[in-house]
Amino acid sequence: MDARLANTWRLTLNEKNFIKTALLSEIRIDGRKPFEFRNISINFGREDGSAEVQLGQTRVMGIVTAKFVQPYRDRPNEGTLAIYPEFSPMADPSFEAGRSGESAVELGRIIDRGLRESRAVDTESLCIVAGKLVWAIRIDILILDNGGNLVDAANIAALAALMTFRRPECSLGGEDGLEVIIHPPEMRDPLPLIVHHLPIAITFGFFIDENVVVIDPILNEEAVMAGRMIATVNANGDICAIQKAGEGVSQRVIMQCLQLAITKAADITKQIKAAVEAYNSERALQKIKRETTCVGNNVKGDQNQTLDNKGISELVGKYMERLKLISVESYASQNISAEETKSLRRGTDSNCIKFNSTPLSWDPYSKCVDLEFLKASVALQGLSTASEEKEATGKEKGSEAESAGPYEDVNSKWSAVDASTTEMHVIGPKTLKDAVKPKNKRKKKASSVI
Amino acid sequence: MENKQSSSPASFVDSTVVPGDVVLDLSSMTSQTIKLGGGLRQDCDAISAMKAGTLRFSKPNKYWIESSQKRYVPCVEDTILGIVVDSKADNFLIDIKGPAMGFLPVLAFEGGTRRNIPKFEVGTLLYLRVVKANSGMNPELSCTDASGKAAEFGPLKDGYMFETSTGLSRKLLSSPTCPVLEALGKKLSFEIAVGLNGRVWVNAASPDTIVVVANAIMNSESLSGAQQIIMVDHLLKNIQ
Repeated sequence: MDARLANTWRLTLNEKNFIKTALLSEIRIDGRKPFEFRNISINFGREDGSAEVQLGQTRVMGIVTAKFVQPYRDRPNEGTLAIYPEFSPMADPSFEAGRSGESAVELGRIIDRGLRESRAVDTESLCIVAGKLVWAIRIDILILDNGGNLVDAANIAALAALMTFRRPECSLGGEDGLEVIIHPPEMRDPLPLIVHHLPIAITFGFFIDENVVVIDPILNEEAVMAGRMIATVNANGDICAIQKAGEGVSQRVIMQCLQLAITKAADITKQIKAAVEAYNSERALQKIKRETTCVGNNVKGDQNQTLDNKGISELVGKYMERLKLISVESYASQNISAEETKSLRRGTDSNCIKFNSTPLSWDPYSKCVDLEFLKASVALQGLSTASEEKEATGKEKGSEAESAGPYEDVNSKWSAVDASTTEMHVIGPKTLKDAVKPKNKRKKKASSVI
Repeated sequence: MENKQSSSPASFVDSTVVPGDVVLDLSSMTSQTIKLGGGLRQDCDAISAMKAGTLRFSKPNKYWIESSQKRYVPCVEDTILGIVVDSKADNFLIDIKGPAMGFLPVLAFEGGTRRNIPKFEVGTLLYLRVVKANSGMNPELSCTDASGKAAEFGPLKDGYMFETSTGLSRKLLSSPTCPVLEALGKKLSFEIAVGLNGRVWVNAASPDTIVVVANAIMNSESLSGAQQIIMVDHLLKNIQ
């Protein structure tokens, strides 16, 4: 008991008096103006649907998950939305693990009201089989650090998480048409939730003197303020919900606060949207990355190869065409003499060509290699090509040794593989990366040829 | 034990030590009284560290371990800022940001007798001195200095108090004066009381000044001397 007494955060009389007197001259203890919000920073986690919001010293994390449930009886074709706030003891000495006090319940209720009653999240689109199966969206709010004004920060975290959450696409199938098939993310892109508008919660603090109103109170101000109002509004000017507690204030003050809330909500909505946009474009970039680097490598290979004799560049050109066509026959029909391919083999970039042309039909291995490469080049999205490639290169090694050419360092072959099957290289960047550094190797090769 | 200490004790001063390090060997130092400050413990002839931090030495004979934390571990002869939580028959219960409440005897004031016991409201801020601090016991505090005089101890009126880490409060009390305080003092006039338990009290004529001083000190924790001066200039420009 003594330990708990010692751990509680206390406010001195000096602080209380100072905060009140300073506010009379419109000065807040952290240097803000009365109607100034703290800096908001929104960060997203690696998984879809997790966001961390920092509002000054307050840190809140929002995580969205979904699962299948039976719908409520009175709403058979709507999904459900539930908010679970958790006040972690690391946020504040007064928070206890397990069941948290009424402030946690209040926070959950305010966010819930803002999202559900105002129909911000479209629940009808969450229905899969009316009356039997719907999506249940669960929003977990975790308070990491309490620096005052948890409701606003938690609301922003919930909205950011909802906007970046993706649920797997599912369709009805099976024999009777009632079986639900959930498509894995690799097969079909997961879908975002339909969010009609963003209800933003803005907290106002009232003090004994009616004219003193602050927005976004910090911890010390919260302990001193007499009354509080949380207005959930959206950028369109709709008032979604209002929560008022403490000292009574006049109607004029309330109306002023609501007007102010709408302007602030517009700002915050812009910020949230910008952060979500940035996150989405990064995600999209990551998906496209493979394609773009593929093109890049091709180009590089081309340039490097022009250093060598023209013949090779011709071959390269032909190869490029083939690549675009992606036809099996083109590889086989390439007419390159055996000797040329051998010389090419000796550490030049156009090694790629010789692989595909395979005039060395006497070489049992190269054909196998060929097929591997073909498979790999055709299956652009294939992830398994990494392993195939390794196999291929292994076989290539054997063939090189067999051909008894001045077989140089392994590098030449490796990079050849790189240049030839650029898609493969890109698809399995991690597997090859350690073994190969294409740029360096190519340069080395160019010099070694000379 | 001797094997651990291959170098002389002086070399440990100003270097980082971790709990368990033997920092002093008394058998090599005869007829010397050594004062042990916070974070050090005596095991027969060896002095070992209990906290992780830097070992400090001040002439003539005081050793202690310094580290910066949010929590305060009470140490004898420290000056701290405490908040009154409760008053009992024999002493006041004071919150000193430590693991246990501090006890301030009702008679520990200059000229204190049973007849003129001061009345402190819950939440009063006091500037105190630690008299006894043993682990496991509630530390004992006092509002007088060692000789019984008041010497600035006692309740602090008005002003504003904020919390910092123990490292920052030590920096503020170090001499020569901390750069941030010097820079502020050149332009503003204010009064501060620094508690080694990570609490600082500021008072000035206008609330503006108090807010600027408080924020400047809070921001200066991780900045170097030159950066602190730049930061203070920046803040002062904004209010003028």
